[in-house]
Amino acid sequence: MRKHVFLAAGLLAAALPAVADENLFGYVRGSEVLPKGSGEFYQWVTQRNNKGTGHYRAVDTKTEVEYGVTDRFQVSAEVNGLAVKSQGLLINGYLPKDIDSNLRLQGFEVAAKYNFLSPAKDDFGLSAYTSFEYGRLDVHSGQKKRELEFEAQLQAQKYFLEGQLTWVGNIGLRAAHEKRKAIADLPEDFEWPTDPEMEISTKIGTGLSYRFAPGWYAGVEALFENEYETEVGQERWSVFGGPSLHYGGKQWWATLTVFRQLRGGGERYDGQPEKQLHLIERTRNELRLKVGYNF
Amino acid sequence: MSAHRWNAFFLPVAVLAGPTAYATDYLTVAQAQEQLFPGAQFGEQTLKFSSDQRDRIKAAAGVRQRNEEMKVWRAEKNGKLQGWLMVDEVIGKHEFITYATAIGADGKVLGIEIMSYRETHGGQVREQAWRKQFVGKTVSDPFKLDQDIQNISGATLSCRNVMDGVKRLLVVQQMFLKA
Repeated sequence: MRKHVFLAAGLLAAALPAVADENLFGYVRGSEVLPKGSGEFYQWVTQRNNKGTGHYRAVDTKTEVEYGVTDRFQVSAEVNGLAVKSQGLLINGYLPKDIDSNLRLQGFEVAAKYNFLSPAKDDFGLSAYTSFEYGRLDVHSGQKKRELEFEAQLQAQKYFLEGQLTWVGNIGLRAAHEKRKAIADLPEDFEWPTDPEMEISTKIGTGLSYRFAPGWYAGVEALFENEYETEVGQERWSVFGGPSLHYGGKQWWATLTVFRQLRGGGERYDGQPEKQLHLIERTRNELRLKVGYNF
Repeated sequence: MSAHRWNAFFLPVAVLAGPTAYATDYLTVAQAQEQLFPGAQFGEQTLKFSSDQRDRIKAAAGVRQRNEEMKVWRAEKNGKLQGWLMVDEVIGKHEFITYATAIGADGKVLGIEIMSYRETHGGQVREQAWRKQFVGKTVSDPFKLDQDIQNISGATLSCRNVMDGVKRLLVVQQMFLKA
C-alpha cells in the first residue's frame, strides 16, 4: 500500500508543475468547450464506500480523451474500469455475493458537447452534452451485466467577480437498457432478475467555486438524482454534496471532491441502519480525483 | 489491484501544494515603457483610490477596480506630455495577466503590451494583430468581444478581462489623469 502511495505521489508531483482548464468540480461540469484543434486527456478515479452494513468499497476509473472539432463542438471517448470489494452485506436482488475483484474493464463511452453561449463572452454559458455508453459490469455488485446507456444534459455556467467566482448548473436525463447475466450459486430464495429492464434517471447538479489564490479554487457542489425502473417505479433518489479543491496551471490540472450522501430514499434493504439514505445502489461516501492534461 | 488498494490514487491534493512556478514574463516595466513611448522620459506616481472612487470607477467601467493603488508613469518628451503608461493585472483562467496600457493626452489608447501571460490557450493575445485592435479606443467605444475586439477561442475569459481592463484604465485616466 505504502509503495503505491509513494508511486502515485511521485507521478503526481512530477507531472504537476504546471497546470490549466475547466473541471473545477468533480461531479458537475461547466459549459466551456475546447477550442478547435486542441485536446485534453483526463484520468478520473472515484471511490465509493460504506453502505451502512458490512464492508463495501468500489473504485471506478475513467480514462478520457476530448477533442475540439470546432470552437463550439467537442467530442470525447472514454474507457471505464471497475473494482469492487464487498463483504458481509447481501441485498436481495442487488448484492448477491461477497466479492473482491481486481480492476476490470467496465465499458466504453462516447460523448459530444455543443456550446451555445460562452460564459465570458455572453455573460451566461450554455452547452448541450450527450453521451452513449456500453457497460459490461454492474457497477454496484461487480457482477456481469450488459448495459446500454444514453444521457443528455444541459450545462450552464456563470462567472462572477470577473471569473474569480464560478457557478455551474447541470440538468440531465439518462435512459438505460440493462440485462444481467445469470448467477449459478445464488443463496436460497435470492432474486437475481435476468430479464431486460429499463431505467430512467434525472440529474440536477450545481456548484460554486472561488479562486482563493492564483491557480487554486475551493468550491462546493451538490447533485440530486432520481431513478425510475421498470419493476419498481421510483427505485431511488439521493442528494450528495461536498467540497472540491482544484488546482490548475498551464497544461495540467487536478480536482479532488469529497462527496457525501446527505439525504436519500426509495428502496431500502432489510436492516438498513440509516433510513434517511439510499444505500442499495449508492454509498454514503464518495471521493473523486480528476487529473487533466491539455495538449 | 483490488478496490482497497486503489487508495493510492487518492492522495490529498496537498501533493500539488507548492507547484513549480511556470510564470512567463515577457516584458519588464522599462521594456514596456520603451515599446509604448520610445525615447520618452517617465515620472512615476501612485494613484490611491478611496472606496467611493472605486465605486465610481466600477459604475463607469462596468468592472471592479480590484486594487486600491495603481502605479502610473507620466511620459514626456522634450517637456511635452505624451501620455500615461499604466501597468495593471486582470484575472486569467488561473493566473493574473499583467499588461501595460499607454493612453495619450487626448484620452485615446496608444497601445497595449502583455507583460505576462500564463494560460493554456490564447497566447495570441501577445500578438500584434490582437493588441492593435485597442489602438485609438476611447472610453466611449463599445468594448464588446467579437464586435470591436476579436475573441480568441479557448481564452475568452482572458480576452474579456484584458478588454474590460483597458476600458477601466481609460476611465481611470479620464477621472484622475487629466492633462
